Amino acid sequence: MSRLEIKDLHVSVETKEGRKQIVKGANLTVESGQTHAIMGPNGSGKSTLAYTLAGHPKYIVDSGQALLDGEDLLKMTVDERAKTGLFLAMQYPVEVSGVSMTNFLRTAKTEIDGEAPAIRTWTKDLNAAMKRLKMDPKFAQRSVNEGFSGGEKKRAEVLQLEILKPKFAILDETDSGLDVDALRIVSEGVNRAKETTGLGILMVTHYTRILKYIKPDIVHVFADGRFVKTGGPDLADELEEAGYDQYLPDGADSESALA
Amino acid sequence: MAENIQKQNIDKEKTDPYLAPARMPSSVDRAVRSFDPDDYAIPTRKQEDWRFTPVERFEEFYHVFKPSGTTTISVTSIDGSTPPQDQVSVSTTDIMQEPFGTVLKPNDRVSAVEWASATASHVVVLQGEIEQPILIRITGGGLQLDALHLVIVAKERTYADVVVEHTGDAYLTEGVEIVTGADSHISTTFVQEWGTTSKEVGNQRIHIGPGASLRHSVVTLGGDAVRIRMDQEFGGEGGELNMLGIYFVDPGQHMEHRTMVVHNHPNCKSRVVYKGALDGAKAHATWVGNALIQPSAPGTDSYELNRNLVLTPGAVADSEPNLEIENGDIIGAGHASSVGRFEEEELFYLQSRGIPEAEARKLVVRGFFGELVEEIGVPSVAGHLMEVIDRRLSKGESEAMKHVLEGN
Repeated sequence: MSRLEIKDLHVSVETKEGRKQIVKGANLTVESGQTHAIMGPNGSGKSTLAYTLAGHPKYIVDSGQALLDGEDLLKMTVDERAKTGLFLAMQYPVEVSGVSMTNFLRTAKTEIDGEAPAIRTWTKDLNAAMKRLKMDPKFAQRSVNEGFSGGEKKRAEVLQLEILKPKFAILDETDSGLDVDALRIVSEGVNRAKETTGLGILMVTHYTRILKYIKPDIVHVFADGRFVKTGGPDLADELEEAGYDQYLPDGADSESALA
Repeated sequence: MAENIQKQNIDKEKTDPYLAPARMPSSVDRAVRSFDPDDYAIPTRKQEDWRFTPVERFEEFYHVFKPSGTTTISVTSIDGSTPPQDQVSVSTTDIMQEPFGTVLKPNDRVSAVEWASATASHVVVLQGEIEQPILIRITGGGLQLDALHLVIVAKERTYADVVVEHTGDAYLTEGVEIVTGADSHISTTFVQEWGTTSKEVGNQRIHIGPGASLRHSVVTLGGDAVRIRMDQEFGGEGGELNMLGIYFVDPGQHMEHRTMVVHNHPNCKSRVVYKGALDGAKAHATWVGNALIQPSAPGTDSYELNRNLVLTPGAVADSEPNLEIENGDIIGAGHASSVGRFEEEELFYLQSRGIPEAEARKLVVRGFFGELVEEIGVPSVAGHLMEVIDRRLSKGESEAMKHVLEGN
């Protein structure tokens, strides 16, 4: 059993207008095997929270902690966080020209596990994982995310999740840009990872659609840089009905309410 | 990927007449070609051909000198064995004896000085279908000024791969003439792995026979200052030239490659793809890709591309394609050039999967060059080059990191 604890986290970014605080005191505890949905209006700081945990250099931690089994992720380099067991499935996975998926995956797997995967089983395991995600085997030979469609990129993210076997995964808007079939395939992959490894999940999303496929245990509303409400799966239904308007600061327009 | 971009651009070029420059007398046609050094002024940065060159770093090569003769040359098969004698002949001839001086003429002060200074010519004649790549190893014998002249002749219908390696310390001016016969298929790969204080000026003059193809690769990884100019012409219809280049520039180094492709016969094809990585303050790379399409060359298909990857701030990459088109009846003529910085997002992505920063950088650089190395098309040469690049990438790394890098 593992535990991820976010304690009083404050995060800023440098903007043209100066430094701006985005996350303003976030607190959250996620246990292995739990699925937390983090929902909220656009611009609330959900993605900032996700990228800060992963260590993106753009985000400046002002204060707080993010403990994975007692070790503070925020004091680690990006790769150390991954080795400690954190995985971020990105909304916009980055293209890396000239580096083949297979070389990338093998290098990452070697780093995460601390030893190279056995040659005999590696290719077989990779092919099987790709097949389950209905990915063309040719993808393994292509450059990382290069020329992949939006749906293919998301599948490739879940492929990495299944292969690297982290303790906790943050899924940042993994549902965006997916059609129903792709959404189902991607969700099945996430559910598989949870069943086989006891993965804890932080699912950042704007819409409730994905929650039909990946059932959350706990639903949070994140607005204006902090968690403002926590509830069971019903909270998602409530948001579906009422939108985020009630959580927006006074004077904000309602363009980011649930469609 | 490069191939796609090429095709797209060529198509675009065909449909968009405004992308093609107007007809005009070309500067190449008017340029001086002479064996006499005094027909050229001493290089200064005011001259077009020397605009990007730190001319003071090459001043040893501006006046005729007596070569030290310390540079050595050996010719073997790539596995070290003696090349088949019926297919490969190696000789040293006096200057002024053919085939010395048969391909084009010197085209700048330093190549005329090389011509006038060299005392002998090494000649390698190839014929038939030569199974193993031929390795010509040129080793510098120290920092005394030397001149070396090499002629590579491939007879009609020869199939052969040639690797020319440069190592050691040298102040060398090198002249290379390459003549390929009709319907021959040849690859030549020139690797510069000079010692850190070495200097080289290279001048290559290339003649491609009718229906022949030449894959010409240049890999420059070491030396304080290296400037290589390559001029080419076709000898008849249906020739094909593929020039590939790779360079990796360290702080303070200057590496310069200038290609001059001349389409002078119908239905010939040329591709020039040069890629470089620059690492550190005052790393300086120059690529100038000249292409001339003469009125005598309808059906020309020509393209050139240069990409630079700046790994750390403070490096300078000059990248200049020059196209001169004197013929409207062509399949395509295009170019692209770019200088890109190392992408922070790429780095973050790789690191977020557990790959440490240093290794992630190397993975990206290796990928940047890998596609090009594969295109060299000779497995033993490509394998050797990847080894050389890996060695270069793991330079200064701990033993543990070297192991990781070379294992991938």
